[in-house]
This record gives sequence, structure tokens and C-alpha cells, in this order.
Amino acid sequence: MSWITILWSMNAAACLTLAGIYLLVWCKQRESWVYLAFSFSAVGGAALTAFELALVRAQTVEQYGAILRWAQLPIWAVVVSLVIFVRLYFRAGRPWLAWSVCGLRTLALILNFVFVPNLSYRQITHLNQVSWWGGETVSVPMGVTNPWVLVAQLSLLLLIVFFIDATITVWRRHRKRGLVVGSALILFSLIAVGQVVLVVWGIITIPFLAAFPFLGLLAAMAYELSSDMLRAGQLARELKASEAALRNTERGMELAVNTAGIVVWAWDIPRDEVWLSDKDRALLGFSKDERLSAESVRRVIHPEDREYVRNTVKRSLETRGEIEAEYRVVIPGGKVRWMTRRAHIEFDDTGKPVWERGVLIDITERKLAEERFRLVVEAAPSGMVMANSEGKIILVNAQVETFFGYTRDELIGQPIEMLVPKRFQSKHAGFRHGYLGDAQARPMGAGRELFARRKDGSEFPVEIGLNPIHTPEGLFVLASIVDISERKRAELEGARQRNELAHLSRVTMLGELSGSLAHELNQPLTSILSNAQAAQRFLADEVVDLNELREILNDIVAEDTRAGEMIQRLRVLFKKREMPKHTGDIDINKVVQDVLKLVGNDLMNQNVTMDTELAQNLPAVTGDWIQLELVLLNLVLNGCEAMEDCEPSDRRVRVASELDNGAVGVSVTDRGESIPEEKMDRVFEPFFTTKAEGMGLGLSVCHTIIRAHRGKIWATNNLDRGATFHFELPVNR
Amino acid sequence: MSAVSEPDAPTVFIVDDEAPVRKALSRLLRAAGFVVAAFASPGEFLAQHDLHKPGCLVLDLMMPGINGMELQRALARKGSVLPIIFLTSHGDIPKSVQAMKSGALDFLTKPVNDENLLASIRVAIEKDRVARREQAELRDIRARLATLTPREREVLDHVVTGKLNKQIADDLAVVEKTIKVHRAHVMEKMKVRSVAELVRLTERSGIRSQ
Repeated sequence: MSWITILWSMNAAACLTLAGIYLLVWCKQRESWVYLAFSFSAVGGAALTAFELALVRAQTVEQYGAILRWAQLPIWAVVVSLVIFVRLYFRAGRPWLAWSVCGLRTLALILNFVFVPNLSYRQITHLNQVSWWGGETVSVPMGVTNPWVLVAQLSLLLLIVFFIDATITVWRRHRKRGLVVGSALILFSLIAVGQVVLVVWGIITIPFLAAFPFLGLLAAMAYELSSDMLRAGQLARELKASEAALRNTERGMELAVNTAGIVVWAWDIPRDEVWLSDKDRALLGFSKDERLSAESVRRVIHPEDREYVRNTVKRSLETRGEIEAEYRVVIPGGKVRWMTRRAHIEFDDTGKPVWERGVLIDITERKLAEERFRLVVEAAPSGMVMANSEGKIILVNAQVETFFGYTRDELIGQPIEMLVPKRFQSKHAGFRHGYLGDAQARPMGAGRELFARRKDGSEFPVEIGLNPIHTPEGLFVLASIVDISERKRAELEGARQRNELAHLSRVTMLGELSGSLAHELNQPLTSILSNAQAAQRFLADEVVDLNELREILNDIVAEDTRAGEMIQRLRVLFKKREMPKHTGDIDINKVVQDVLKLVGNDLMNQNVTMDTELAQNLPAVTGDWIQLELVLLNLVLNGCEAMEDCEPSDRRVRVASELDNGAVGVSVTDRGESIPEEKMDRVFEPFFTTKAEGMGLGLSVCHTIIRAHRGKIWATNNLDRGATFHFELPVNR
Repeated sequence: MSAVSEPDAPTVFIVDDEAPVRKALSRLLRAAGFVVAAFASPGEFLAQHDLHKPGCLVLDLMMPGINGMELQRALARKGSVLPIIFLTSHGDIPKSVQAMKSGALDFLTKPVNDENLLASIRVAIEKDRVARREQAELRDIRARLATLTPREREVLDHVVTGKLNKQIADDLAVVEKTIKVHRAHVMEKMKVRSVAELVRLTERSGIRSQ
């Protein structure tokens, strides 16, 4: 067998093999036309090899010419398929080059069949039989070159230029990649074309050997394609692995999501398709298979919130930012859940949004808690105002609106000082800052009277409790405001009534003293009247003693003054006013003596004898003289009354004073009825009395007075008979 | 005009514990022409008072120590006829009733109008004068009676019953002439001119006939 035949056959076989392989590959991947193009080239290459073998073995000129003619077909196929391959595979190479190459080649083909014998030769004169080694002879054509062959050769040149352009483009794009195959393309095609051109132009006398470099070309291309295939296989494996990993992650996430109440979703924006896990689909009421668009997913959103969500998405697409939104969804069963939506948008190179991925987190619990909080605040019977750390009002309830006369909208966002009376406003800001420094739940303004200001400027007294609330947005303060106008009114009323009561008691005592009073007043009146009437008689005499008259008038004046003072003292004693007032240093013994003078007559009236045992040199006490007189008066009169049913000889009242343990003590003892033991505790209560006609006020007033003097008052029953009332006053320091 | 200080001039005695009142009342009474003596307490008055002095007593009812009522009782015990006028600040009805029942002449309230007081005092003084005169007369009658012998006394007793001399002689078993003599002596000693007068005298002195 001739080695030429073997060699050429092997070449053809190789080409066909490659063609076959890649044809099969293309069959598997119909969309990858590269492989088909390559197959074509390979088939063309095989055909070319066959033709070249035939040429080498050609015996006659006619044979040679015909074969060479038909050889143009596979050449055309190869060139065109190479161009297609480069374009498909590299996606490079200027299109006009590609078209020129193909165009020229087609022209060459047409011309080829126009000319006889063919495009390459005008005329083949004879065939040289050149002997090669191995005893083989090959035919080499000798003849006149057809000048139109330049068309063909130009197309080949352009092909090479095309290759170069493509390679450079690819190299620029990807650096290393494509350099191999590109340079191989250039190299082998240069060799092949060069050789053919030289043969055709008769410069060298060897047969056409383009087939072999062409195999090299094919090999390079095949190599590239195979590494591609390998890469694809690797990718496929990696994909599988990553898919598995992804599924793992997904499952993990699903687990987390299921527990956490999170719905994960992805929205393919160009295709408007929303991905949701099966579980979430079920949760939201979608079937497993139905295609979900953005709008169809929004079916689950509460009708009132749909517009809001749509706008939010639109805004985030426009601003390319991540926007959070809170809204309600209605899940199967009619239940409403609050969700917060957080999403992130991915954009492609051109800036178009391609993916939006996000989560929906169930915040129903939080929302319910907020709602409950709001309801509690709203329903609170006191006014609730919440302010932030800058003192701006954030939240008010209906009671605040009622108290202050503002509507909610007028308050929210305003400084809280608008509710404070003007004179306190400047200090209030300072107090606020102080509170923020040490925020605790406590009443506001300890020791101060607090007032609040209504919209119309009027004020009302309040009590305020402060509660700090720590939120992620900072420290808020919740103030609860209670209107204490009523309470204050009641307190004032209470105080007024107490005063009335005290006055009533004094007036009652006044009544009890009437005897003494009448007597006290009558004395001066008597002397005044008698003096005046004496003067009248003296004046009627013939001789008037002026000295006598003068004396009379002086006495009248003196008596009147005395009476006036007496009345004044009594008026002061029984005047209705608050206590205590007019404090000063008091010698308690003097008070005792004063009182005894006052009641002297009454005692005589009732045949009561008064004993006094007053300690000498008692230290002074601080107090109101008049009030202490009242107390003694009361106690003494009480003592007398207690002895109403006693024998006159038994009617003795003893008043004693002493210094005891740093306090001045006074006791009033009678020998009348004792105080029943079970009533001992109650004797000082208002309206408590053991007297048939008593009002029970005297002792309670005494109690109040002594307490106001920081003293003590108490009663004991005497061992033999009667009771003793004691009171004690602290000594003046 | 100052009062003539006669030994027997009626004196108004004032007892009141309040000095200004004492002074004023004294002035008033002096201005009205009375002789006044003022005392600060009943005790003082009792200690110094001469029962024989004529006049009347102006007394404050409520005083410490012995009060007015007690003084009234004390005086009564002593046999004083001094009229008492009570003065008081209290217009106490029970007390006034009690006072009047105990023999007070009047009960006035302070401040006292001069006319009322003076009128009362005049009445009192008059009453006192009359009382004293009667007392004096009585003493005189008793003195006269004391000058009678026992026999004359007997005769007197019979004469005032209206018996005739003859009857008396029979009763006493003596001759009528003796009776006549005794009778004349009685008439002379008793300083009366008729039996009727004698009867009146004896009745006044309270001598009962047997």
C-alpha cells in the first residue's frame, strides 16, 4: 500500500472522525451551532483531503483539471464554515470582513465553473511526475495560471485577516483565552494558503498539501471545543453540587423561616414571576403550581393596604433603595396578620432591575401589643401624653383632648411646654433634662403645686406621674395627668368646714360664758351711768364743784375704755378666723389667771370653788395667747358643768401647772362624773359628747389647738371621783 | 350741796366689790343729797355696821366670799331692820323671787337708772324711819309697862278687857276703891287718858290679855 494513500486516508479519516464526534455533540445540543459549523469544516476538510489525494494520483491533464475544478466546492464549504465557526465561537471578527470573505469565495466558485478547466489554471500544460521517496510518484501540475485565481486568493487573504482581527478582539476581551486557537487558526491557514498560492503560481513544484495544515487547524479547533466541553461538564457538576448545596440551604432556611414566621420570596422583575416556597404558598393560600405575578401575589394583601404597598414598591424601584413597609395580609381562614416587608433589588449592568428578593416577617404580635398599648392609653381615665427626649409630643389620648381643649392634631409634634403655664415654661425644660438624666417611674414635681394650661389660657391644678419608656428610637416619657380641681375644691371645702366648726365651738362657748360676760360688761356700764347721772345732779346745784365734775368725767372715760378693751378681747377671742396666728412667748400661768378672772362669776353662780396650784417660774411656751385661753376656758367650763349634780361643797375645780420633762403641763381637775372608760378614746372627737345638750365641739377644738402648738392633750379619770384634763406644750427654745 | 351730817341722818350703805361701781354710786347718791357709806364686801360691812344707824342697804347680789343673800340672812339673825335693795348684773328671776321672799325691799338690775335707785332708796329710808319709830315707840311702851307694880299690872289686864271697876274688884277680891286707885296709877304711868288708848297701847306692844 502506498504510504501517500495511507497518509492521506488517515488525514481524511481524522477529519471525518472529528466531524462525526462534533456532529453527535451538536445533536445533543442543537442550539450550539458552533459544533455543526465545525462538523462542516471537518467534512469539508475530509473532502479536500480526498480531492488532494486524487490530484496526486491524477494521470491525465483532463483528470487533473476536472478534479481541481470540483475541489473548489469543498474549499468553498470549508472557508464559509470557518468564517461561521469563528463568528459563532468567538463572537468576534468584523462582520464586513466575514461577508467579504464569503462573497469573494462564492464569486470564486462561480468563476471556477465558468472557466475551463478551472479557476486556478488557464491551461494545464502537463503533469510532472515527481518521485518522492518510497518509490512514489506524485503529479504536479504545470501550466498557465489563471489571473482570476487572485479572486480566490484574495478571499483567502481576507480570511486570514479576518482570523487575525477576531483573535485580537478576543485577546483584548479575555486576554489568554482564544489566543491558542486564534494563533493556531492564523498559523495553519497561513501555511495552507501559502503553500497553495505558491503551487498555483508555479513557484514551487509540489502537489497541493493544504489538507495537512488544515488538519492541524481542525485539531486546534477541536482542542478548543473539547476544553469547552470539559469546562461545560465541570460546570454541570459544579452546578449540580451547588444546586444540592442550595437545596440544603433552602431546607435550612425553610426550617428557620417556618419557626420564625418569615416568608421568603423572590421576584423576577423582567419576567414578573414571583418565587415562593411551597410552604409559603400554602400559608398564603396559593396552589403549588400556579404562576405568581407581582400583582397576583398582592391578592393576599388587605384591600386597604394594597395601594400603599404598590406605591412602596414603585418608590423603591425608582430610588433604588431598600424600603420597609408594614401592612396586613389576609391568610386563608380570614385571619389578618401584620407583616413587615424588607426587600433588596438587584440590577443588571445596564441598570435595569432584574431581581427583587425579600422577606415578610410576621409582626402581628408586636402590632397587637402596640394596639393594646394604644387602647390602654386611649381608655385611660387620666390624660396620657407621651413625649420624646426632645420634649415633642408623640402620643395623646382622648382625655387629654378633653382636659386641654385641643384636638390631637394640634398637639402631636408640638413641644410639651405648650401645656404648661407660661410662668413655669422656662423651668420646665430644665426639669425635663434633669428627668432624662435619671429617668424613673415617679410622680412629677414633688413638693410643688402643678398646674396645666388649657387652650383658652385657663389653668387647672394637676397631679402628674412620669414613666420612662425605652424604645429603639430613644427614651420616651409617658406622663399620666390627673385633674385635681375637684379634690382641691374638696380640700378647701373641708378646711372651710373645719373653720366653721371651730368657730361654732367658740360661739357655743361664748354662750356658755354669757353670765360672766354680762357681768363683766355691766360693771363699767353701771359706773358710767351712775357717774353721769351724778354729774347731772351736781350741775343742777347752785354752786358747781368743777373738780368733782372733772373727776367724774375721768372716771367715765376710764370705765368706758375698760369696757371697750373687754369687748375687744372677747371679740378677738371669738372672732372667726384660721388658726394659728399671733404667736408669741406665753407665760401659761398668766393665761390661767386671765381665764379664771373671765369665768369667776360663772363659777360663783354655780357655787364652784376654784383652786390653783401654779408652779412658779415656768419657762415660756410659744403659741397663740388667745387660742390657749380658749382651751383653758373650755376645760374649766367643762369641769364646772360636770359637777352640776354635785353638792355645792363638793364643787371644786383645781387648775395646776408644772414643768415636766421639758414641757409645760396644765391640768384641770373636777370632782364630777367620771368619763366612761369606753368613751375615753373618743372624748376629743368632734360631735362626741356626754352632755345631754352638748354639741361636742369644745374638746375637739381644744385638741386641734394643742396639736397645732405641737403639744399633747389627754384625759384621765381621777382615783376618787371626777376627771382631769391635761395638756402639755413644748418649751420655747 | 353736801348733806348735813346729823347723828341720826339716814345713811345709805353701799356694798359692792367693784371699786368703780362703788365710787360711781356713792357720787350719785351724794349728788342726790344722801349720806353714803361704802364697803367693799359684806364682811367689812358687818364688822363695822352699827345696827342703830338709820338708813338702807344697797347690796350687790354676786360677790365673792359671803354673797348678798347670805348677808341678808346674817342681818336678819342679828335683828336688823335695815331695808335692803339688791343690785345685780344678772336679771335672774329665780334669784329675784328668792330675794324678795327673804324680805328685800327691791331688786334692781345694773346698770341702774338714777331715778329708779333714788326712788327705791327714799322708800327704803322712809320704811326704815317708820320701822325705827315704831321700834322706839314700842320700847317706850315697854318701859312704861315696866314701871307698873304687879298689882297695877293685874288691874291693867282686867281694864283692857272692858270690865267695870266693880267687876275687877270682885275678880281680884279687893275693894272697889282700891281698884280705882290702881286704875288711876296705871293711867298715869301709861300716860293715857282713856281706856281705848290703853287698849291700843297694849295691843301694839303685843301684850295679850288673859
